[in-house]
Amino acid sequence: MEAVRGKKIGYLCTFTPKELIWAAGFLPVRILAKNQPVSLANSHLQTYSCSQARGSLERLLKGELDLAGVIFTRSCDTLMRLADVWEKNSAMRVYNLEFPTKIRDSTLDFFKRELYDLKSTMEEWSGRRIGREELITSIRLYGELERTLKELFEAQPDYEIVLKAQSHKPDEVLKEAKNRLSEVRGSERDRGRKVLVTGSVCPFLEITDLIADAGFSIIDDLCTGTRFFTFETPKNESEIASIDDAMEFLARKYFLKAPCPTKNYENDGRFSYLLERAKDVDAVIFLLMKFCEPHFFDYPQLKEKLEAMGKKTLLLELEFPVSPEQLRTRIEAFYETL
Amino acid sequence: MVAKMRRLDATKRMREIMLGYYLQGRQAEKIGWITSGAPVEFLYAMDIYPVYPENHGALIGASKQGPHFASFAEERGFSQDLCSYARCDLGCIFAETSPVDGLPRPDFLFACNNICNTVVKWYEVVGRIFKSPVFLLDVPFVRKEVKESYIDYVEAQLYDFITFLEKRYGEFDESKFRKVLKLSVEGVERYREVLLMGRHKPSPLTCFDAFLNMAPIVCLRGTSIPPIFYAELKRELDDRIRNGISAVEDERYRILWDNIPVWYRMRWFSEFFMERKACLVADTYTNAWTALLDVSKRDPIRALAETYTGIHLNLGIDLVAERINGLIDTFDVDGVVIHSNRSCKPYSFGQYEIQRLIDVPSVVIEADMTDSRVFSESQVENRLEAFIETLQT
Repeated sequence: MEAVRGKKIGYLCTFTPKELIWAAGFLPVRILAKNQPVSLANSHLQTYSCSQARGSLERLLKGELDLAGVIFTRSCDTLMRLADVWEKNSAMRVYNLEFPTKIRDSTLDFFKRELYDLKSTMEEWSGRRIGREELITSIRLYGELERTLKELFEAQPDYEIVLKAQSHKPDEVLKEAKNRLSEVRGSERDRGRKVLVTGSVCPFLEITDLIADAGFSIIDDLCTGTRFFTFETPKNESEIASIDDAMEFLARKYFLKAPCPTKNYENDGRFSYLLERAKDVDAVIFLLMKFCEPHFFDYPQLKEKLEAMGKKTLLLELEFPVSPEQLRTRIEAFYETL
Repeated sequence: MVAKMRRLDATKRMREIMLGYYLQGRQAEKIGWITSGAPVEFLYAMDIYPVYPENHGALIGASKQGPHFASFAEERGFSQDLCSYARCDLGCIFAETSPVDGLPRPDFLFACNNICNTVVKWYEVVGRIFKSPVFLLDVPFVRKEVKESYIDYVEAQLYDFITFLEKRYGEFDESKFRKVLKLSVEGVERYREVLLMGRHKPSPLTCFDAFLNMAPIVCLRGTSIPPIFYAELKRELDDRIRNGISAVEDERYRILWDNIPVWYRMRWFSEFFMERKACLVADTYTNAWTALLDVSKRDPIRALAETYTGIHLNLGIDLVAERINGLIDTFDVDGVVIHSNRSCKPYSFGQYEIQRLIDVPSVVIEADMTDSRVFSESQVENRLEAFIETLQT
């Protein structure tokens, strides 16, 4: 197993079931843009696509990514198209997982079938079968990692370790997370005004640091933050007996992931989830990536509902490279208004 | 002397038809908002009036009021980077007016993401405003091949949709549905014949004629109007050929257009090409509605699931390039003008790769379908001018 572990499989969307990648003997590595200007990607992707898409492609074209393959999970229109652009410009294998947009009981079976196809693909890529043991071990490992991160974040958010969890070996990150947890356990969570930071991808620690430095105590709804590890798991992992159980478990688990605006939920699920999370905060910061349609469509009505609850809001629109200094003034000024 | 676009008589008829269509919306009792790539046949079978916000967006664009109506949405916090059809339509809701005096309130919204995921978000917003339910027909993206499981998935949702409609409006009338399907197929056939007239050299029509006359196949597909209207239009084009009238005088270059038109600049583009003896004989946009249902199949729902999964915008780049090469071949074109449309990411991202996969030279121009604020005439003109020069050699 360890010999293959050296091979990495990239993914961009956190709805990608890493459990299946790891169970096949690969290391799942999240592809994230760097805080650098884009030049090479400009002749492949228009400037009105988001920085995460352009920046990731830039890294590919610069030869910064050493991956055996990439999984594109259906989420937004940009990533859907990026899969082909990626394939045309690299020797990597590219696979697209059709994650339903419509999250309902009635669409679960389709997703489960897609997961079986992904499983076969991982087996084909790695040249080994994913057995019951490998699958259950992987599911339990990720489950434990996610619960540990959740506990850690409740005690003290740690954006460095959650970034690590997206690209490093889950067993090693788990150890580190447990150590961190025992260090901070019992210590008081940073005080200061509570802010909910909601948005898409923000892989730069400087930005969450800035918000904390301004005096805020952060809870987040970021795709690179708590949304990475927040799942309402359908049942205890120890009850999984067969491969089909495991696949069913995974399908349900990812349907119960913290909601994302690229999905359509019953009863406006994302809005109720966020309004609930915002109950006890003093303010909300929308940390949105420029050109991210799913988030920007939700923004005005969400803002209106939050303001009706008496929450102050701030919109920070990100385009990489970001200059933290420019953001600092706005965040500090926002803090002052509270 | 500026060359003038040779208007087709049928365009007048089309305007009457569409006026009638919009007026009908005022008296309609059952109203559903629907996306342009969704199977409208279910709505017509239930006597539900289908509202097409995208057509309304195009109409606003063509009347050059895009920035005006979009600003009402932008003032409410909707970003200028969002789809301009969505911004214009939302703007009209907030402004409580529009060039057709606003759209009727929806009882429900029917979004199909086979054209984009934008419509899902857009309809969620509208659904919240009017407190109307949104039915999403979730169509898997066909990057390489259509899996049987995709069709099963779409088919199952079509049955869910029937249940959704029956809960509101009573029993689904299957015999009426079959009649609607038959009319839909007939309409598409007649429409396709019209577009294929562009094969004639010189061509009797341009893609601008196609853009101007596409509304009936989008909005009225499944009624008796498209078969009659497009047959009439075809006769006019036959007459043109018989009388030696071409759309562009002295046609020298034959060009294919990719993407949604730049609605507020139709005349400008039309005259620009006309002056240079270039005829835009076809486009990928209007050709997206030419997919024929195989209704001879015993199961029409399955046929609908297949048809609506395989539409142009729901395909991966290789398949799109294959289709474009098919059009290049069918219409014998010399080059392709590719509109990189800020408002339509799924239509535009991947265009640079498509350029490398198609059989004739092409040029990319930057614009937006309805928002004229991002249109730079000099930039577009320079690009096109240089491109036409390359075709000369």
